[in-house]
Amino acid sequence: MHSGISVVLKAEQLGSVFGFPITNSLVMAWVAMAILIGFAYFFGRSLATIPGRLQAGIEWAFEGALAYMSEVLGSEVLARRFFPLVASIFLFIALINEIEFFPGVGSLGLIRASEFLPILRAPTTDLNFTLALAMIAFFTIEVTGIVMLGFFKYALKYVNLTSTVGFAVGLIELVSNLGRLVSFSFRLFGNIFAGEVLVLVAGYFVPYFLPAPLMGFEMFIGLVQALVFAMLTLFFIKLAIIAPDEAH
Amino acid sequence: MQQLFSVFGIDWHLLLAQAVNFGIVLIALWYFLYKPVLAMLERRRGIVAKGVEDAARAADALSRSDGEALSRITAADEQAEDIISAARESATREKTRLLKEAEARALAVARDAEARANEAAARQRRESEQEIARLAVLAAEKILKKHHD
Repeated sequence: MHSGISVVLKAEQLGSVFGFPITNSLVMAWVAMAILIGFAYFFGRSLATIPGRLQAGIEWAFEGALAYMSEVLGSEVLARRFFPLVASIFLFIALINEIEFFPGVGSLGLIRASEFLPILRAPTTDLNFTLALAMIAFFTIEVTGIVMLGFFKYALKYVNLTSTVGFAVGLIELVSNLGRLVSFSFRLFGNIFAGEVLVLVAGYFVPYFLPAPLMGFEMFIGLVQALVFAMLTLFFIKLAIIAPDEAH
Repeated sequence: MQQLFSVFGIDWHLLLAQAVNFGIVLIALWYFLYKPVLAMLERRRGIVAKGVEDAARAADALSRSDGEALSRITAADEQAEDIISAARESATREKTRLLKEAEARALAVARDAEARANEAAARQRRESEQEIARLAVLAAEKILKKHHD
């Protein structure tokens, strides 16, 4: 076991079940799921016609989000259809990014072969999680575009044979569309992972004063990144449902 | 590419597991949170709309009952005025009748008094005439007696 800064890019494997690796980021995802689902279950059961402060706050947030989504998508029906996806992306990422700085995360662990293995690691610092979310968002966006416009009309956005410029633009669109997978996943992974490393380095060199304000800042960044991921999903859905002749 | 996957620990098992995790979160939140909260918002919107509708209906009913009350008051006023004017007319008629009756009664009393006075005067006159006649007879007797003597 060595002392000092240990930065590991990939999530550490704690064990495996039927050949499926169990990593510390997977365990923390389950913890976040349990918190989120538990809260949703008890909150959903305690709804009252005359709301308390928490219910009023959540209802206010829901109404605000729905109104904003209706404005962006130009349809209340579409907003209601995509609200669960966008809201779940935000809530799941935001919760993970916030509990990342709670005591025990990264500090509780196992000693295996003289190596410290933390039991919990923020899934947003594991590319498997961010890539999985990016793929879900990507497929949702593409499927929405195909369902709303029809396959051939949607394909016209990327394969435009009317002119050379149109063809080049279509090709760029296609590449940038595929690039979303990378940008979606690496943006979230990079920001949160870098924040964690920053706090780690600050804790190593200036352990008494710097880590706490940096953690506060990183918690804010975590919220921003959750919002960015959710908002980009929403905006790309909007772009996907715009017909090629209306796009410019 | 394989090296990149290895460095970042990308494994299709983990990708699948995290995707399933998110799917579970999405379904659970939809069922336990979004559905009931959105239903509650819808229900409250319905209650508010019904409240506004009820308030409009109540205001309408109030203005209608105000109008009805006003028309009833106006009718009652008119009726009261009719009753008062009828009472006034009746009182005037009664007054005139009573006056006439009183006048007639007074006239009858006056006539009766006059008749009685006339009768008394006639009786007095008759008695005076009888007395004068008696005194004249007595005086004539005295004179005759004096002449005889």
